[in-house]
Amino acid sequence: MNYSSVIEGNSHIKNWPHLKNWVLMPLLILICAFLTNAIVIFFCGYNPIRTYIAALNVSFGSPSGIGETLVKSTPFLMTGLSVAIAFRCGIWNIGAEGQFLLGALAATWFGTKLAAYLPHTAWIGIPIGIGFSIVAGGMCGLISAVLKITRGVNEVISTIMLNYIAINLVSAMVDGGPLQEAAKTGSQSNPLYEWVKLPRLFEPHRIHPGIILAVILAVVLTYVLFRTTFGYRLRAVGEGPEAAQAAGISITRNTLYVFFLSGALAGLGGAIELMALAPHLTKNFSPGYGYTAIAVALLARLNPLATVASALLFGALTQGAFGMEAEVGISGKITWMMQAIILMFVVAATSLNYFQSKRSSES
Amino acid sequence: METEYILELQNVTKTFGQLVAVDDISFQLHTGEIHAILGENGAGKSTLMNLIYGLYQPTHGQIFISGQLKHLQSPRDAIANGLGMVHQHFMLVDNLTVAENIALYLSHFSTDKKNSQLIQSEVDHPLKFNEKESKISSNFVKWRFKMDEAIQLTETLSQKFDMTVDPHPRVGSLSVGLKQRVEILKALAVDARILILDEPTAVLSPQEVKNFFQILYTLQEDNRTVIFISHKMKEVLEISDRITVLRLGKKVYTGKTGDLSAQELVREMLGEELSDIHKKKSKVIDEPVLRISDLSVKGSQEEVAVNNVSMETYRGEIVGVAGVDGNGQKEFAESIMGLQPITAGTVQILGKHTTSTESIRRNGVAYVPEDRRTTGIIGTFSIADNLMLNISHFERVARHGIIAQNVKYTTAENMIKTYDIRPPNPNLSVSALSGGNQQKVVIARELSTDPELLVAVNPTRGLDISAAQFVHQALLQQRDNEKSVLLISTELEEVLQLSDRLFVMSRGNLIEATDYRDSIEAIGLLMMGERIPNEL
Repeated sequence: MNYSSVIEGNSHIKNWPHLKNWVLMPLLILICAFLTNAIVIFFCGYNPIRTYIAALNVSFGSPSGIGETLVKSTPFLMTGLSVAIAFRCGIWNIGAEGQFLLGALAATWFGTKLAAYLPHTAWIGIPIGIGFSIVAGGMCGLISAVLKITRGVNEVISTIMLNYIAINLVSAMVDGGPLQEAAKTGSQSNPLYEWVKLPRLFEPHRIHPGIILAVILAVVLTYVLFRTTFGYRLRAVGEGPEAAQAAGISITRNTLYVFFLSGALAGLGGAIELMALAPHLTKNFSPGYGYTAIAVALLARLNPLATVASALLFGALTQGAFGMEAEVGISGKITWMMQAIILMFVVAATSLNYFQSKRSSES
Repeated sequence: METEYILELQNVTKTFGQLVAVDDISFQLHTGEIHAILGENGAGKSTLMNLIYGLYQPTHGQIFISGQLKHLQSPRDAIANGLGMVHQHFMLVDNLTVAENIALYLSHFSTDKKNSQLIQSEVDHPLKFNEKESKISSNFVKWRFKMDEAIQLTETLSQKFDMTVDPHPRVGSLSVGLKQRVEILKALAVDARILILDEPTAVLSPQEVKNFFQILYTLQEDNRTVIFISHKMKEVLEISDRITVLRLGKKVYTGKTGDLSAQELVREMLGEELSDIHKKKSKVIDEPVLRISDLSVKGSQEEVAVNNVSMETYRGEIVGVAGVDGNGQKEFAESIMGLQPITAGTVQILGKHTTSTESIRRNGVAYVPEDRRTTGIIGTFSIADNLMLNISHFERVARHGIIAQNVKYTTAENMIKTYDIRPPNPNLSVSALSGGNQQKVVIARELSTDPELLVAVNPTRGLDISAAQFVHQALLQQRDNEKSVLLISTELEEVLQLSDRLFVMSRGNLIEATDYRDSIEAIGLLMMGERIPNEL
């Protein structure tokens, strides 16, 4: 029998789903989402096309717009990476929100208190502040990991619960707690010491080194996942736990790694956001980055590199909201709806894939 | 048309591609009898039952129910024609109560016009419900869903057939024996006149089996017919009125229970002739590779799956473990691999007590698991990725934890060539391969680590003859290389052909049977959990 034809046939099949999965499907999702949203905008009494052009203009139309889009994409990217890594490895970490906040909280504690006792230089302040956030986010993830391993607690539940704990812990700390500002007037912390703040790269734009760090992390994580035995183990545990176990890969150990890694990425995201942009930690520090991150990661099909593009889209939407408000007059809340609509179409597409593969495996 | 047969099959054949699963079987079922079907794994029992139950349609042949020709297109059809099946794995919703499960089943099937006719019209049929019952059932037909009616129906049926099933508790909280009764009640709720019971006693304790037989007698008194599929000779002889034996898709015997002895039945099941048993003498080296002492393991239902087992394997031999599926082989293999917690006893590999699967693997143990699709491969991974799915491979393909792509692909391509994996594309997702080729991926990966001990569970299941021979050669090669092989298989012929020493596993007990290897009847009896009579 002639197998070369089969191979050729396969290389055909091999490329086609890549194009389909990575380009056509996300494109289709976005088109559907934008169309659906356009209907809502229309019924709100605005012109959808003008609204979209205004959003595009503000997010990509000028150097400062692009800069702001990048800045706003960064927390989505960091939390998106956190979710992508976890989901990819079979861990349903819904706790990026809490881990993001705890990372910021740890950085605040260091940046407004401890940093005073260390040499007043950014070369020491920034790395240690970042280190604090990584440990805080990672430990938050490990709580769920330990509960899952020892008691079988479903991580979806434990991570959501920990989100509430983190949100209220931040409140308690900055609203009358030990981290409240010295003046005790607002519910916010003292501003960070200057030597714990991330510098700006191109004044007056707010572009900061955290953006570059996040993109580098996305590349490194992709490499680690697909080119190292460490990543291989993680993926194996995620996609075939029984087979991985039989191969001698420890599920317990790798579960711990994933939870820590996922939590640390979100925590680091919180610290970057705080150290680069916020003068101080407030009660409403995160507008729900950790939850939106699920949409970001799913749209990127849980690939860290694709998460960069997906985060950029969500950053642009957030930035575009200002354009819509200023130029068209529609409420910026419409972008939050947009994000939710994207998520719905992502989920719809996922189940579509699921049923397709189910049908093909049955036939 | 008058006939005493409630079910009749005439020259029924079912083929799947080249494979003839059921070969020209004719077979009659008397009303009110308990009819046992005996046969090895793959003898065609399940296919035959699926044909009767409407899951498959026969390629040739006809099925008559109460003398009428029927073309059953689905289980729904079969149920409407008075058939009921109790599967080995229960089809119950754990979170619903007993009555809710029965109501769910009724709502699913009673909306059929045919079925409502069945329930209402057959007033004169000897198997009918009494009037009260049939009224309740027809209420379901009209979709008048009242929980208390479902409860009442459950209670009535439970009382009538002496099953003592309480309609109120959640099914999840019931014992296995009670769950089985709920399954039978479900079938009775739609007035099944023929009940197919697939290995009903496999999950039951001896005491539960006794009660279960009592229920079967009650069903029989009510003039219902039972098809009883089992591997266990003793039970078949005790409960059945007639016995049919299948072998390789053919009916080889039907007769009254008691006409043939247990030994004669085993001979019918297994056949007389076995192909050449390899006679090449192996050089066993007196160095134990695997040493198991007093091993006990619990199964998923907390039952004793492996019961106080001791054995050794030595270099240069293949040790075979024969047995019928589900007698503890899976748990036995998994406990050797560190995948199942051990309740008592020890497992030593090359003199070292085993701890984690990782260390067992590193000590040179390879494993071909029973369940290829979940445990052998990762479906979403490529062939190349699956070919390194064993931590013993990691050092070979990776330096300092970084996978060398060229090494990964050259080793993968070598294995693909050596083991003739088709299509030979390392980037292809392994789920795109046929079952046989997936198994080759597993075998290639496990043998290329040059293991000291190979634990193989049903390594040729689903393979065609040439692929199976290839695997057999690979196992013999391991032996000739002075390695040790533990072959656990439900294919008796395979075990007999390859093993230097032979064990039989039955209900978690391991019995050495090397001395009986020339007597297929004796081994058959051991597999059935019987004692060997003195004359054998």
